[in-house]
Amino acid sequence: MNEMIVTDNLGKQYRDLVALEGLSLQIPPGEIFGLLGPNGAGKTTTIKILTTLARPSWGTARIHDFDVLRQPLQVKKLIGVCPQEINLDRELTAYENLWIYGRLHRMTELKARIQELLDFGDLSGRADSLVRDFSGGMQRRLLILRALVSRPQVLFLDEPTVGLDPQVRRQLWNLIQELKLGGITIILTTHYIEEAEMLCDRVGILNRGRLIALDTPQALVAKLGGYVVETLNGGRRQYLLVRDKEEAYSRAQMEPTEVIIRQVNLEDVFIQLTGERLTN
Amino acid sequence: MNWFPIFYREILLFRRRLLRLGYVVSALFSPMLYLLAFGLGLGKRVTIGGGSYLDYLLPGLLAMTSMTNSYNWIATSMTVGRLHFRTFQVYIQSPVTATDIVVGQILAGMVRGIFASVILVSLGLVLGGGFHYNLLFIVALLLNCLVFAAFGVIVGMKSRSHEDTATFTNFFIMPMGFFCGTFFPVDEMPWLARDIIKILPLTHTNHLLRFPAWNLANLGSLGLLIAYGVLCLTVAIVMVRRYSE
Repeated sequence: MNEMIVTDNLGKQYRDLVALEGLSLQIPPGEIFGLLGPNGAGKTTTIKILTTLARPSWGTARIHDFDVLRQPLQVKKLIGVCPQEINLDRELTAYENLWIYGRLHRMTELKARIQELLDFGDLSGRADSLVRDFSGGMQRRLLILRALVSRPQVLFLDEPTVGLDPQVRRQLWNLIQELKLGGITIILTTHYIEEAEMLCDRVGILNRGRLIALDTPQALVAKLGGYVVETLNGGRRQYLLVRDKEEAYSRAQMEPTEVIIRQVNLEDVFIQLTGERLTN
Repeated sequence: MNWFPIFYREILLFRRRLLRLGYVVSALFSPMLYLLAFGLGLGKRVTIGGGSYLDYLLPGLLAMTSMTNSYNWIATSMTVGRLHFRTFQVYIQSPVTATDIVVGQILAGMVRGIFASVILVSLGLVLGGGFHYNLLFIVALLLNCLVFAAFGVIVGMKSRSHEDTATFTNFFIMPMGFFCGTFFPVDEMPWLARDIIKILPLTHTNHLLRFPAWNLANLGSLGLLIAYGVLCLTVAIVMVRRYSE
């Protein structure tokens, strides 16, 4: 078994809403895999199933060859979860939050591990502060550190930088890139294009519960062409995909209004595939 | 078994809230109110079974206080933790069993129930009331805390909103507090209500705390409390095991 995560025709239905429809993935160890899609695309549902929080309605999912439905305890020993909402105990200190999580995972020598993590996350000076007094960025960092206490083989990061200012977002990206160097497999959901392009080895694009594209960010972008000519006509933004810079210039000269010429990104891939924007 | 971190988390939170002076006062506000209004006010004019009303009321208030404190803490903390703060999800995603989660929560609820009980007993002693302490008294008190902490887990798992928790409290906990022999003997109730009340757990706790003698009837009451405990514990574990979002 070479793959760290394998899903086969994975699906989830809530009453009459199909949140996830036939997701099949293979993710090798050490990869940062991004699930990209707008709100309601099925990203969080996928994470919930893989982390044993939700039962799939059909299909299977295995982590390190353990079935998430039939062998949940073995799966939970392998994973660390950083959810979208900050579910730290606000009335407890940073140290207490990490200690309790470590004990839930039956960790020993926790004191040294917690100190190591607080140093890594640049929070060692705040170990005994209540989490409610932390800034949003510090809470996010602590949330990631908590997921790392048990030295997981697979780390799930569900929208890890949502709602953070750009500077803090970049700090977290650095942290995630450092984690990758340690060989951990990371599943990351996001609707930030830049985040997916910067961090992910491969990206799966989800829309309305279905996987509509799967490849490296570079390959997905390359399929579309090199450049985009953006125009604003009567209040409507229009996108024209072109092969190279020269073609972009000649197209731009033909436009009566102001134009923006830029490189193709994953958002363009999404628009091309669905006719909708990824972000609001 | 790995229930300790779940229990310890609740105790840490409890300890932190305990340090706020207002918390202890608010937790014991209603039993103190009942004690002062009924025990001292009404108590001077009323006697039950030949004894003072304060002596009758104190064990009843003890049963009621241990019930509400064990239940409230867990029902509220689980509902809010599951629906609002989503801290409950951390347990589900950790390598602990449903039994670990339920046992940890129940023990924490029991600690709170016992804490409130100790304060009430002390208050009763100051006011000149008395209890018949023996092993049966302590076992009944602990079982009462267990039954209602486990019921708190069930409510915490079942509630779809904070209002739901209040509904469970209003329909199950409050009527038991008033009608299961806390303030007046169950025999005073009409026959149909009496029969229903006699199968409710708090009725038996009240009886055991007032007359903790080792006789056959009391062993039956003890057995019923144990049965309620096992039933609530089992239902709570099944509900946590089946949890899925």
